[in-house]
Amino acid sequence: MQDTNAVQKIAIDPITRIEGHLRIEAQIENGKVTDAWSAGMMFRGIELIVAGRDPRDAWVFTQRICGV
Amino acid sequence: MTKRDGPSSLEERLAQRGLSRRDFLKFAGLMTATLALPATYTSRVAKALLTATRPPVVWLAFQDCTGDSESFLRANNPNVTSLLLETISLDYHETLMAPVGAMSEKSLMDTVNNYPGQYIAIVEGSIPTANGGIHCTINGQTALSRAQLVCSNALATIAVGSCAWDGGIAAAVPNPTGALGVKDAVPGLPKLINLPGCPHNVINLAAVITHYLTFRQWPPTDSQGRPTFAYGEDVHEECPRKDHFEAGRFVLAWGDAGHRQGWCMCKMGCKGPETKHNCPTVKWNDGTCWPVQAGHGCVGCAHEKFWDQMSPFYASVDCSD
Repeated sequence: MQDTNAVQKIAIDPITRIEGHLRIEAQIENGKVTDAWSAGMMFRGIELIVAGRDPRDAWVFTQRICGV
Repeated sequence: MTKRDGPSSLEERLAQRGLSRRDFLKFAGLMTATLALPATYTSRVAKALLTATRPPVVWLAFQDCTGDSESFLRANNPNVTSLLLETISLDYHETLMAPVGAMSEKSLMDTVNNYPGQYIAIVEGSIPTANGGIHCTINGQTALSRAQLVCSNALATIAVGSCAWDGGIAAAVPNPTGALGVKDAVPGLPKLINLPGCPHNVINLAAVITHYLTFRQWPPTDSQGRPTFAYGEDVHEECPRKDHFEAGRFVLAWGDAGHRQGWCMCKMGCKGPETKHNCPTVKWNDGTCWPVQAGHGCVGCAHEKFWDQMSPFYASVDCSD
C-alpha cells in the first residue's frame, strides 16, 4: 500500500485538449503537491528556418507556428 | 470492419447531432462529386455510409501546428466533421479526447491491441530523427517509435498535411531536428495514403474514407501515394482566372486595376501552374473560398518540399502560355 509520507512523483503526458505537446510532473508529499514542472515536448526550430529567407515570406512561415 | 455500431443507426446518431437526412444526402453527394464519380453513385455511397460498421481511427500528432485537425473541424454546411465523426469511431485524438495522460494512452493502446490490422491511423505533423528523435516525445516515447508501432499495425495510414508527407515546415532548410514525413520515417507500411497541403483539405480526407467504406478499396493513388481524385490536376487547370492568364491579363501590383478585376496573379508569385491540388473545385471552409478567389496567389502548399521549392512565394513562375 502507498505510504502517504513517501515522496511520490507523477507524470501526466500527454496533456490532452490543448494544442501541442505538454508534460506535467508533480512531486507529491503527504497527499499534497509540493513541487511541479511543465515541459513542452516538441521543437521544430522555425526561428532557425526562417533566417536568411526573403522577408516577404516571413509571414507564411511564422503563421505555421500554430494552426489554431 | 469490426467496430460494433451502437444500438442506434447512423440516421439516429445524425439526428442526435441535429443533422437531417437532407444534410446526410448532401454529404453523400459532395463525396461522390469529390471522388469524380458519376452522380448515379450517390445512392451507393449513401447506402454504404448508412450500413458500414464504424472503423476505429486513431489520430496521431507529432511536430504539428494542429492545422490539419483544425481543417478536420472546419466544416459546417454540410457538417462534414459531424458526419465524419458518426461514420468513424475516433478513438484517439489528443486535441479532442476527454481522457488525459495514462488514460488517453490506454485509449490508444486498446485500439492498437484489440483491432490489429483493422484501425486506420491518421498522422499529422512531421517526425524528428535527429538526436535520437528527442525533439518530439509523447508519454516519454519518441514520435518515431510511436509512429513505428501504431502505423505498422494499422489497416492503413493516412498522412494528412504536408508535414506528415515530406516533413513540411520543420524539414525546411536547415531542418534542425532531422524532420521526416511518414513515408521516410516509417518506410514499408502496408498502406500509406498521402494528403499533402498546408493544411490538407478535410473534404479530401472524408472522400478517402468514404471511398473505402463504399468500395472496400482505397481510392487510386499516384506514385507519391496521393489520391488522383484530389491531386491529379494542377491548380491552374481548374482556376477560374485561367482565361486571364491565357489572355495576358496579369496583376502587376497589389490593389491595381487588374487586381480589383480579378486578373491572373502569375506575376505576383502564384504557383498554381506547378501544384497539384483540387482547391479551385472543393475550395475551403465549406466550399466558401480559396486563396486565388480571395485575391492572393497559390503558394503551392501541396507541392513536395514546398517551403524550399515554392519559395520565395512572391517570385513568379514562367507566365508565358
